[in-house]
Amino acid sequence: MAARSCLRASPILSTAVAHGLSAPPFSPDILHLHPPTEPRRPISASRMVSPRKKKTERVAGVFHSVAESYDRMNDLMSFGWHRIWKDHFVSSLNPGASSSNPPKPQRILDIAGGTGDIAFRMLHNAHVLNSNPDVHVTISDINTSMLSVGKSRSEALPASQQMALSFLPADATALPDAIADSSIDLYTVAFGIRNFSNIPAALREAYRVLKPGGVFACLEFSKVGNPLLNAAYKRWSFSGIPMIGQLVAGDRDSYQYLVESIERFPSQEAFRDMIVDAGFVVGGDGYENLTGGIAAIHKGMKPLKPSS
Amino acid sequence: MAPTRAFATRLASAAATTTTKSTRSPLTTTACLRDSTSRRAYHSYDHPPPPGAFNTAERQILSAAYRHVPEHGFTHKALSLGARDAGYLDISTNVVPEGPFSLIKYHLVSKREALAPRCAEIFNAPVGGAADGATADAAAGARGQLLTVPERVERLTWERLLANQDVIHRWQEALAVMAQPSRVPASLHELALLADEIHHLAGDVAVDPSWYTKRASLSTIYASSELYMTNDRSAGFEDTRTFLRRRLDETGSLAGALGSIGQWVGFTASAGLNVLRSKGARI
Repeated sequence: MAARSCLRASPILSTAVAHGLSAPPFSPDILHLHPPTEPRRPISASRMVSPRKKKTERVAGVFHSVAESYDRMNDLMSFGWHRIWKDHFVSSLNPGASSSNPPKPQRILDIAGGTGDIAFRMLHNAHVLNSNPDVHVTISDINTSMLSVGKSRSEALPASQQMALSFLPADATALPDAIADSSIDLYTVAFGIRNFSNIPAALREAYRVLKPGGVFACLEFSKVGNPLLNAAYKRWSFSGIPMIGQLVAGDRDSYQYLVESIERFPSQEAFRDMIVDAGFVVGGDGYENLTGGIAAIHKGMKPLKPSS
Repeated sequence: MAPTRAFATRLASAAATTTTKSTRSPLTTTACLRDSTSRRAYHSYDHPPPPGAFNTAERQILSAAYRHVPEHGFTHKALSLGARDAGYLDISTNVVPEGPFSLIKYHLVSKREALAPRCAEIFNAPVGGAADGATADAAAGARGQLLTVPERVERLTWERLLANQDVIHRWQEALAVMAQPSRVPASLHELALLADEIHHLAGDVAVDPSWYTKRASLSTIYASSELYMTNDRSAGFEDTRTFLRRRLDETGSLAGALGSIGQWVGFTASAGLNVLRSKGARI
């Protein structure tokens, strides 16, 4: 099961949505945390496979208590860089761009995108920059509370963009029938896939729902190549981030989990190989490092004819 | 010398794709160069042919997109049209890792790889005047010997420049993209590969330090000729060719002058040494 430990912002979004489109309302989806009510313990498989229902209840229980600090936390932890990563991710995908006139419709599935960070940027890119109103984005998240955050944030979008949005609570490793085989142009997952309990299964699902020629794109934390930067980054993430978590959010354990889950996530090459194993074609190296490898964008395309 | 060898091998392996291709034609197996055969043998025995710079899907999209370059330039639009032509979706252009820059790289790589077969055509073709009625091999040998290495370098560089003519009106945009700081290393690498390919095809087998200076000077000359060509409106780019020849001649005379100076310094120094020795200095 896609055990995504999440607890994120609360529907306190009337201020956040006031930002409008030029600065899409930020939501804290860098963080997919386990509830702080749970005592800290070493990361183990048991946490990843804990029953979804129980997790959802836990998440709902703590949902409001820590919500407000997330925006602030993401900015503090990444020095605001997460916005740049997300902007770059979306602009490099360039959703909505079409060579034909009128432009071709596109269907986009944003997995683990509950708060709409990526989805709203994609809508802006497609509808405004590429003038392609036929781009529809489905925001999917395993956590219905997260989806309600996205829903309330989306109310600040122009009506045309709201019409092009839909919300779907779903497990990324077993997508519901509502999403047919070979029906999606672009599948995105930003800062979510490392919390999936079964990444290969999620990749296979992505392969299934994508059209031939469709693109799988993933923005996720990764491994830093430069040893100097890595030393500074590790020091920051293992000492600084839990400390900030404690001071600002009053919740050290969740942020400890965050950095440990980043540490456990496979390297750029290993994750690229997982994407290739799922049947995707990758171009060049198959990934693009951001900020020296702190985050990386992986892209894969479903080939026209499946390789045997 | 050792690093030179290693570098040459690496560069040779980059060109191996074309070399393997050329085995198909009996004409090209004679190869325009003396070390070409050994190079091919080396690669076929010790190394599997290296994978091309682009995988199948990339190649399909890029080759289709390349046909749109004269009209739309090295742009995302051309890529998108190419993806459509190749049967892909608009979004599939994401598989091409660097977008428009990949399209530029495709031009550079494919034109560089096309040089080896072209070289075989130019220098090995049994031309009436050169051939004395013997086999194609003999004709090739005869013709190959007619041209000195610098002459062949000039000819190959000119062939490579001519390969730009279809997209020359878009080439300034491409140069601008290539000059972006993040693209500069890849662009320079491609230029170095081209300079090496030309020298290799021209039959230059020197492994002294001039290995580096020759390639560096050819890179500079090629880049400036290309820039000159973007503004050349003369028929058949004749002005560019004369420009190229002038630059190569300058390098030749400069190299000659430097060589002479070196010789003079060496001679004077050893003569001076001998004078001192004759005076009883214990040197």
